[in-house]
Amino acid sequence: MSISTPGGEQHRPGLVKVGGKPAAGAKPGTKTTTGGGKTPPKAGGPRKPITPIKVNQGRNWGPIAMFAAVGLLAVGIIGWGAWAAFKPGGAGYDWETRAGSIDGITHVTTELKSNHTYNQEKYEQSPPVGGTHSYVWQQCMGNVYDAPIPNEHAVHSLEHGAVWVTYRADLPADQVAKLAAKVEGKEMMLMSPVANLDKPISLQAWSYQLKVDDASDSRIDDFIGALRVNATQEAGATCSGGNTATGDKPLTEEQAAALAQQQQG
Amino acid sequence: MTDVGNSPRFSTRGLALSVALALLVGLAIGFGVTRLAAPGTPADDSAAAGFARDMTSHHAQAVAMGMIAAKKGYAHEVRTIGEDIALTQQGQIGIMGQWLRDWGLNLNSAAKPMAWMPDGDAALNGNLMPGMATPQEMTALENAAGKDVDRLFLEMMIKHHLGGVHMVDAVLTRTDDPDVLWLAKGMKARQTLEISEMQQLQATLAKR
Repeated sequence: MSISTPGGEQHRPGLVKVGGKPAAGAKPGTKTTTGGGKTPPKAGGPRKPITPIKVNQGRNWGPIAMFAAVGLLAVGIIGWGAWAAFKPGGAGYDWETRAGSIDGITHVTTELKSNHTYNQEKYEQSPPVGGTHSYVWQQCMGNVYDAPIPNEHAVHSLEHGAVWVTYRADLPADQVAKLAAKVEGKEMMLMSPVANLDKPISLQAWSYQLKVDDASDSRIDDFIGALRVNATQEAGATCSGGNTATGDKPLTEEQAAALAQQQQG
Repeated sequence: MTDVGNSPRFSTRGLALSVALALLVGLAIGFGVTRLAAPGTPADDSAAAGFARDMTSHHAQAVAMGMIAAKKGYAHEVRTIGEDIALTQQGQIGIMGQWLRDWGLNLNSAAKPMAWMPDGDAALNGNLMPGMATPQEMTALENAAGKDVDRLFLEMMIKHHLGGVHMVDAVLTRTDDPDVLWLAKGMKARQTLEISEMQQLQATLAKR
């Protein structure tokens, strides 16, 4: 017994199909183009006349060359594959080693929470480098904020892969301008003053921090170069949208709703 | 074939030597072919890598503009093209980032933006690449309402696309990486089309 599917052709045996495969019902006697009608021209062809056995006539180089060529090809493919499989690199860039080699950098290796809240949070580090944060991120499209921003929003930006440049309010204006030049208009960067900073300048990426005294310290570029984008906890996340207001308290749920409403126009 | 085995000169030692030699030559070929193929990977200071990094930043701003237009464009055409541009360019950011990962390169560079382009420095406005909006312009778009959203968005995005096409032209003559050429050509074709589409839309909306 055969299992058949409800095919249209089987219900219309009178139909003659032109071209392509013959209908399932019309098999017997039907000549197909792909069937075994033709015989391959080689199979039945005349064999080469058997040459008389050569006795000790030297090596037959033809087959040897052929085997050698095939062997070389095979080994070459294996060699290529082996190299491709074991060659260094190919797994991205080792930014962690580069970050770790920056003199004076701090790396928090204990777990930093990533959950969202509308509450004010207390953070282990100052400024924070990770932990529970606001639902809303601080816009980090190279924004240079001239007043402090809520930690809860900035931490969300760090989660997206931004580097947050912070400075103490008494940092001279020319130093602030130097820092701003590294930030302004460069996405995945944001900058703001922070009250009660223990050093003139502090840089934050998710789980990383570097504190320096001077805006011309070359480690600032090292920190940004190693960690911007790379330290993301959410590959592919953006810095646009989000909160652009300054202040010391995160947006409440009502304020966040109002912001979303305003962004909808 | 059989007469090889019958040959009195044929020996096991000879076979072993040939196989060993074949193995060595084969490995050398495998290694060599790979090394010849490997230079296809762009270097850290190549135009391809510079383009991947800088066009990512350039695109990120287009995504920001596009999202604003998608959310609060006044005309439905503006909302549609904003959504299209934002989603397309965010997808392309992902493609370009994966190139850099595949090439074993940093997503970042200490180099200034546009360093891979001739006169790249002259084309810069701070960190802003050709066609990019200033922070003040972005704030104005974010705070705009009604028909002002459409007007500002179309002006800014046309300018942004023109600058983007300029950068694409620069990479097209400076790389032979097939992936980069493929995406760059696609960007140029699409953005050129969108420029005239947006110009037409400006004319249409002026009469509405």
